[in-house]
Amino acid sequence: MSDERLEELPLLETLDHLLDRGVVIAGEAVISIGDVDLLYLGLNIVLANVDAVMRVSKR
Amino acid sequence: MKSIAIGAHLLRDDVEPVAEAVPVGDLYLSAVAVADDQPLGDRDLLLRVAGVRAKLLDVATFVALRYGFTFTSAEEAQSKTLPFHGRWKRLLTAHRERVEITLKVAAATQTPRPDRHQFASGAEYLRALHAATQAATVDPLFREAAERLVVPLTVKHRWIHRDEKSVELAALVERTRLEEVREAGEELRATGVPFLLSGPWPLEVFADDDHE
Repeated sequence: MSDERLEELPLLETLDHLLDRGVVIAGEAVISIGDVDLLYLGLNIVLANVDAVMRVSKR
Repeated sequence: MKSIAIGAHLLRDDVEPVAEAVPVGDLYLSAVAVADDQPLGDRDLLLRVAGVRAKLLDVATFVALRYGFTFTSAEEAQSKTLPFHGRWKRLLTAHRERVEITLKVAAATQTPRPDRHQFASGAEYLRALHAATQAATVDPLFREAAERLVVPLTVKHRWIHRDEKSVELAALVERTRLEEVREAGEELRATGVPFLLSGPWPLEVFADDDHE
């Protein structure tokens, strides 16, 4: 894995926390159609993130 | 203009001048103002909000609001957050000197993520997704090491199943003990189990606690 990818990990973790944690205000969960894609992307980022950590560990 | 809420804070000085401070009850919401037609999914906006969030945490601990809550007036912010004010006040008072940390560990055993095309209903798919998430387990040696090295440094902790590939230890930590937590993280590397220790974070997982 490149150094660039390693540097992305904190950013991905930050976005994961921004998008997936904290108090949900009732009625505000749905942002827009465009952002649904983004939220799915966020979930994928989490998975990719863990995968990336596993790959780093195996090096 | 509309405002994107970031968190709930005890004092106005905890918010300004980093972000806009909007009074709600005897607390303050931090917010970032954007144009009405600004898509919330914009990458640059997300990064901007993430940056403001990090700066706010440098000032004082706050209750994190999940990204996506917007309002157009102080009255709207007040009315929509009213049910939370009492709990937030108690949490912010109790945990002002504390932050969250996250220890995400790769699952030792994984159940494949269900394929949504194989389910007749959304409910069945969600149940299968939940089951796959709950089936993820932590390497027992890693869990023992985390319980021995990290947990004693925390005020409270919780193991959380977030997806089928990882399990997470979320913990509340005194700010003054963060360095000890980082050192404990270094010791955990000896287990050989992949993990990611991150933080500090605002009150996120423990923002739902209401029994302080």
